[in-house]
Amino acid sequence: MAGACPPNLRRGHMQTLESIAAKMAHGERLSFDDGVALFRHPDWVAVGQLAHSERTRRHEDRAYFNRNMRLEVTNVCVASCLFCSFAKLKEGDPGAHTMRLEEAWRELETRMDDPPSEIHIVNGLHPDLPFSYYEKLLRGFKRIKPDVVLKCFTAVEIHFFAELYKMTYEEVLSKLRAAGLDCLPGGGAEIFHPEVRTRIANDKATADQYLEVHDVAHRLGMKTNTTMLYGHIETFEHRVDHMLRVREQQDKSGGFQAFIPLAFHPDGNGMKNLPGPTGVDDLRTLAVSRLMLDNVDHIKAYWVSSTPKVAQIALRFGADDVDGTIVHETIYHAAGSTSPQGLTRDMLVRMIREAGFLPVERDSYYGIVHEFARAALPEGAVKVRDRKANKHLEVIS
Amino acid sequence: MKGKNQHAVRSRGASDGRLVLAGVSYLNSRPILDPLDRAPYADRFSIERVVPSEVARMVAEDEAAVGLIPVAAAATLGDIRFVRGIGIGARGPVRSVLLVSNVPLDRIETVELDLSSRTSAVLARLLLARLRPSEPRYVGRTYPAGGPRLDDKTAALVIGDPALLLESQFPHVLDLGQAWFEWTGLPFLFAAWGARKRTHVMSGDQTSLREALAVGLSERRAIAQDRARAGDIDAVTAHAYLTEAIRYEFGDEERRGLELFFEKGASAGLLPKTAVRFVDEPEPATLPPLDTLLERAAQGERLSGSEAMRLATEASLFDVGVAADEVRKKKHPSGVVTYIVDRNVNYTNVCTTSCRFCAFYRPVGHPEGYVLSREELGRKLQEVVDAGGVQILLQGGLNPDLPLAWYEDLFRWMKANYRLGLHALSPEEIWHISRLEGLPIEIVLARLHAAGLDSVPGGGAEILVDRVRRRIAKAKCTSDMWLEVMRVAHQMGLRSSATMMYGTVDTIEDRVLHLLKLRDLQDETGGFTAFFCWDFQHEQGTRIQAGETGTSLYLRMQALARIVLDNFDHVGASWVTQGPDIGEIALRFGADDFGSVMFEENVVSSAGTTYCIDAAAIEGRIRAAGFRSVRRNVRYDWLTEPA
Repeated sequence: MAGACPPNLRRGHMQTLESIAAKMAHGERLSFDDGVALFRHPDWVAVGQLAHSERTRRHEDRAYFNRNMRLEVTNVCVASCLFCSFAKLKEGDPGAHTMRLEEAWRELETRMDDPPSEIHIVNGLHPDLPFSYYEKLLRGFKRIKPDVVLKCFTAVEIHFFAELYKMTYEEVLSKLRAAGLDCLPGGGAEIFHPEVRTRIANDKATADQYLEVHDVAHRLGMKTNTTMLYGHIETFEHRVDHMLRVREQQDKSGGFQAFIPLAFHPDGNGMKNLPGPTGVDDLRTLAVSRLMLDNVDHIKAYWVSSTPKVAQIALRFGADDVDGTIVHETIYHAAGSTSPQGLTRDMLVRMIREAGFLPVERDSYYGIVHEFARAALPEGAVKVRDRKANKHLEVIS
Repeated sequence: MKGKNQHAVRSRGASDGRLVLAGVSYLNSRPILDPLDRAPYADRFSIERVVPSEVARMVAEDEAAVGLIPVAAAATLGDIRFVRGIGIGARGPVRSVLLVSNVPLDRIETVELDLSSRTSAVLARLLLARLRPSEPRYVGRTYPAGGPRLDDKTAALVIGDPALLLESQFPHVLDLGQAWFEWTGLPFLFAAWGARKRTHVMSGDQTSLREALAVGLSERRAIAQDRARAGDIDAVTAHAYLTEAIRYEFGDEERRGLELFFEKGASAGLLPKTAVRFVDEPEPATLPPLDTLLERAAQGERLSGSEAMRLATEASLFDVGVAADEVRKKKHPSGVVTYIVDRNVNYTNVCTTSCRFCAFYRPVGHPEGYVLSREELGRKLQEVVDAGGVQILLQGGLNPDLPLAWYEDLFRWMKANYRLGLHALSPEEIWHISRLEGLPIEIVLARLHAAGLDSVPGGGAEILVDRVRRRIAKAKCTSDMWLEVMRVAHQMGLRSSATMMYGTVDTIEDRVLHLLKLRDLQDETGGFTAFFCWDFQHEQGTRIQAGETGTSLYLRMQALARIVLDNFDHVGASWVTQGPDIGEIALRFGADDFGSVMFEENVVSSAGTTYCIDAAAIEGRIRAAGFRSVRRNVRYDWLTEPA
């Protein structure tokens, strides 16, 4: 039976939440109105509890992370997305940078003593690079580490390549696959609804085009992620609409592994007057994502976007995946993120364990690489000290 | 079983392997304790004689294996098991627990409570609730030699040897033992040998204690004569007291009386609802269900230390959070979260204490040491006034070059020139000044209050368990000293906050004990406004490893505090250390206050954390969490309309 209703929900909460919980218990899919009601519900803790139930049903107490590395080989971009501090950046502008291939490859070479298992590359839309640049980039990484998983280029970039190099999506993706591409990251989704998309990201791939790229990728056997940028000018209705479109696409082609809500950050971009979402909004959005996206296995809390502290609580509000070690994050930090730029594996394991979950290092396909010990007792609990041995019975081994 | 817990308390003070016992030095305890100082018992036991509250503390903090523990303290801890057959009680008049006054009790407005025994204070309150339609005001007091001086509106609860001399000095005397017996027909047990549940008291030790009592009872005449040598009590009175008033039994009738006392105390919200168990009884197979405990917590019932431990270690974060949220709703049904516009100013970073968790301080003579000048201070204060602020939170290191007069001048100058509340110093700083000047705490506080001090911030508490304090802040005042300053301040009419910094070497049990000590003091004085906690911020410049920290733990600790501190009006979210996102989330985990706007923060941020946000951002956060915001002052009066 799907997700038993947590007992606390029975204490005087609104009818809506109970009926939604009942729907889920019967394996019924939630509707657009359900999603909006969940976003609007004043008791966001109860919504979180419901999402936590669902998360537990699917993943027990596992919290996934992986050892990845993020790279941006170019931030030159012809698009003018309002939320991006790299918008309309031209080659030669201050701050504009395009890596030479050797530079990019060196990022992996210098880490071969403790290499990442996955390389995640998203870039600006550069008008002047040859397609072969990207092919060589991928081949070079595979040469250095043949089993590294390359999760590169958003659907927006793929669409851009198709237009720029006059190929179909299938051609672009097949060629890149031949060069070593394994998966697509989820970026570029922003908000699908045209009311919002035309105002914040008018000159890049449309929602249909974005989803089409993922459709083709899935049919070619590639797994991908997908995202949603929230907390700017969109409404709850736009968010739910976005989730439903993801759900619909997943029903069709089935290749999305994780859904990643990304909090909008206001500094240094065209929307810097907006306050951005807060901790409660972050938790609420994760919770609603988990409840709405019944056909997507994983909900990821990206700690760079929401801070490691909120990410710990996020694991209890629907997220089962905490994005990995990252090493040197730049995109969010240009937009004002104050999170540290890299978390080591030990720090991530500790963070997850302190939150009361089982840290699981995964591979790019959610296979288990290593299960770490969970905390012996519920988070925050420590047995009384063994004074004779004068040793603090540490929860963290 | 034998080896399991012996290590816990045989080591301290009695490295020779003797069992450490804690007792009191009152006359009525002597038949129980005196024989233990001699052969053959002296080979087995090491006795510490302290005041009753200290007995409870020693047992709670594993400094004594068994203590002659006041029963109210046993109820508060929740996991005490008693040694059968030995107690200090009365069946009828006790003669040493008296409510005295110059006028009949129904004309009394204030009752002074002798602070040396919570048990008698609770009994007094239960009896007075029965005897009068309205509650009097209760005030904690330590009496001068010769006993209390009372006017026509005040009664006093006097306990122990001093009470034996008072019977004839006041026209109206209520013997609480007699009053209890008339009410219930049962004896009243004041204290008994008790140990923590996890301490295994061997049957040989239990037998020895009972044998020793038998010896002591046979010596009562000698004890009375010895006591009479002090000159204040005569031997006949003392002997009659020991033989007619005090009963040394602890059997079924005493147990029933004790259970009834705990029940009535729980109904009045003064004691947790605790069962009475003996050390030689088997423990029940299962504990009461956690859900029941959570429900009781949500209803605002007073919990014992062991119940709080269960919540902390067994309940999920959501469950504890929901219970704390319910408590918050009952205390603050208006759905309002308060915050204050003030400024934290550190007037000096020169400090003689060198706590290991602090990266802010500089030793005397260090080139980076400073004392803020009047100009700098004035500029900061003006900024607060201009921003619509209502108070200044003034704290600093313990600077040996700043005498009391410096503070008095400063406070007078601040009050003369700026319309701001002065929320200043901390118990540590007060003690420091007191030692520096050789003046008692009362005088220091009175002079500072006269010069303009309005309230005392609750900082420097860290963990109110000395074992922890010795490791992380050896040179700081002890837990008792911190509590004493607050007691004196509250009695003087000054309000204060209370804090807890966890996450160094403390355990969950230490944190629960910390909360219980705050709760007990609040019962006495009612002077605490709010409680804040945070975890140790371990970054560069600190000199101790972090223990348990993390966001889940923070929310759990805050929720636990809201549940345990049933007599505190307010619990605040520490967004300064946790970040405003967590601060916002914390509002549904028991917090009803968002602390203060930060213009600057130095102490904690020297260790690495810096969050600065303004009033508009705070209000946005409060609303995002689903509440309305209100600006407050230090007394939690509302200064604006909820919005």
